Amino acid sequence: MVFVKRSARDLIISKTPFLAVLAALALLPLLGVGGYWLDVLTRVNLFLLVTLAIDLYSGTTYYLNLGISFTFGFAGYALALLNVYYSIPTEYSLLLAIPISVFFSLVILLPSLKIRGVYFAILSLLVPIVYIGIVTAQPFSLYLGGEGGLRFKQLFLDFARSLPSDVRLVFLQYSYYYISLAAAVIGYLVAYKIGFSEFGFMLRAIGQDEELAEGTGINTLKVKIIGYLISSSYVSIAGALYASMRPPVTVDLVVPANTLIPPLTSAIVGGLGTVVGPTIANYLLLLTYELMWGFIGRWRVIVYMLLLITIIVIRPQGLIFKIYLDLKKRLRGVLRE
Amino acid sequence: MDVDIYKYILLFSIFHSSTYLMFSIGFSMLFGVAKIPNLAYGSLYIFSSYIMYTLIRYLALEPVVAALIAVLAAGSMGLLIGETVVKPALKMPVTIFITTLAVAYIFEEFFRIEMGLRPITLPLYPGVTYVLGVPVSNHWFLVLTASLLMFSLLTVFLKYTVIGRSIRAVAESWDESRRLGINPLKVLRVTFFMSGIYAGATGVLLTPLKALTPTAGWGPLFTAFAIVALGGVGSVSGTLIASFIYGFLEQTMTYVLGSGIASISPLILIILVLVFRPQGIMGRAE
Repeated sequence: MVFVKRSARDLIISKTPFLAVLAALALLPLLGVGGYWLDVLTRVNLFLLVTLAIDLYSGTTYYLNLGISFTFGFAGYALALLNVYYSIPTEYSLLLAIPISVFFSLVILLPSLKIRGVYFAILSLLVPIVYIGIVTAQPFSLYLGGEGGLRFKQLFLDFARSLPSDVRLVFLQYSYYYISLAAAVIGYLVAYKIGFSEFGFMLRAIGQDEELAEGTGINTLKVKIIGYLISSSYVSIAGALYASMRPPVTVDLVVPANTLIPPLTSAIVGGLGTVVGPTIANYLLLLTYELMWGFIGRWRVIVYMLLLITIIVIRPQGLIFKIYLDLKKRLRGVLRE
Repeated sequence: MDVDIYKYILLFSIFHSSTYLMFSIGFSMLFGVAKIPNLAYGSLYIFSSYIMYTLIRYLALEPVVAALIAVLAAGSMGLLIGETVVKPALKMPVTIFITTLAVAYIFEEFFRIEMGLRPITLPLYPGVTYVLGVPVSNHWFLVLTASLLMFSLLTVFLKYTVIGRSIRAVAESWDESRRLGINPLKVLRVTFFMSGIYAGATGVLLTPLKALTPTAGWGPLFTAFAIVALGGVGSVSGTLIASFIYGFLEQTMTYVLGSGIASISPLILIILVLVFRPQGIMGRAE
């Protein structure tokens, strides 16, 4: 981080990559990208929120929150339950589901936030596992849909029905894409602000040495709780939006392999606590994974995992952010000449 | 309920608890030292079972010989995982979650592609014994004996041998132990090997009672994780107590509530306990 006042030209140069990518993403549907790949991009946009949530909290404090997938799925289930049992339209239950999910995530993990060490990570990994058990176990599965999931009305379906049948699907797909893109952009900008604000540095101080941070007058518990709340809000927004676009809600949303591991991987490979690195990694890794399907089919999991291990073993502190800085330096050099 | 049901619950609670004890001791030992769970632990469980299956099926080896080879293979694989994936990541402990999990997926996918999804079984130890009038397969006694033996061996090893004491020293403090002349990396290596042996032994002993599929490793991993969390990280006696709580609760609940909710009732209890005592029953808060 550089605290020197930058020239206008420097500022433009440093914002160019961000604006270029944003413009490209915004124009993609107009350039004819649709169908499967637009769905993939919608998902990747929403996953960016989860990646940023991990980066903002776990990436700075090094308290690993493995309960992310619980918060993600719980927001989806809250939305579906409100829609099915209280007949609240999806558009409104989406908004209600977010605070509900943040509240429950905090209540369950609050006691382990209070003490130091690995206990937070342990408890947070158990929560999604128990939740999956509850959803699929006999008495509860009747209400929560069990393995098959809970059906509800997807976002904007009522409005889409009023449209002619040939544009209906396209409307849903495009509107979902732009919602996800807006969420991703706002999420990124907010995360950047928080990550490099005074509050962000307090979080980092906890990650470096919690006792020392306390000694310098930081109320570590308060900072941890607020950080956790911000992070959970990100995940809840992502979870509720994601679920609202793809009914039914199933336990797949809560399975850590689906909704925790991809963003956590992006956060680590991108470089924990750097915001920019994880964002780039989020798009690169998730799209690479999709692309690999076409080339190596069923071996893609093994190849992808080997690749991941290699990257992490060679550079545990993250790879993408460093590459990004190097490229930027080179770009600045070229433009100066 | 009549008396027979109680006898049945009591007996099978003991047997099931011993399987949980078996799952978790190797995991607990490693968790205590490295402070980070090895999420590839379940893979070693299926790895040794598949090796034993292959040896019996294609080389027609005696089950005992095949089991021994499989357990040694699992130990070596544990060591290999530790050396290649965990050791380089020690600088950034959070990354160990990802690397060991990636290993677990590699194993799962590999066996899915090579062995298919069809469940496989291994031979049971033959014979049936009547205990209190209840017929019990001799394999359960083998499991019970083995798990108690494995537990006692580990306790003695950690208490009375030099390497065992070094393991405890490293678990206590990485830096302090180095000052005492212990090489923590060497200790970690021993721990990985032993943990692999324990996972492998658990695999070959328990697979005959359950079916073996590429995803069979996850159940034991999560159970071990839950038990270690309940007992307290790094506490071997805590693991013993927690296994028996888990086993008795699960078996009792199966008869009271039916199998659906019973399988997660111990997990719900664990969450409740950890909410009020995050360091577990025998663990210490930092």
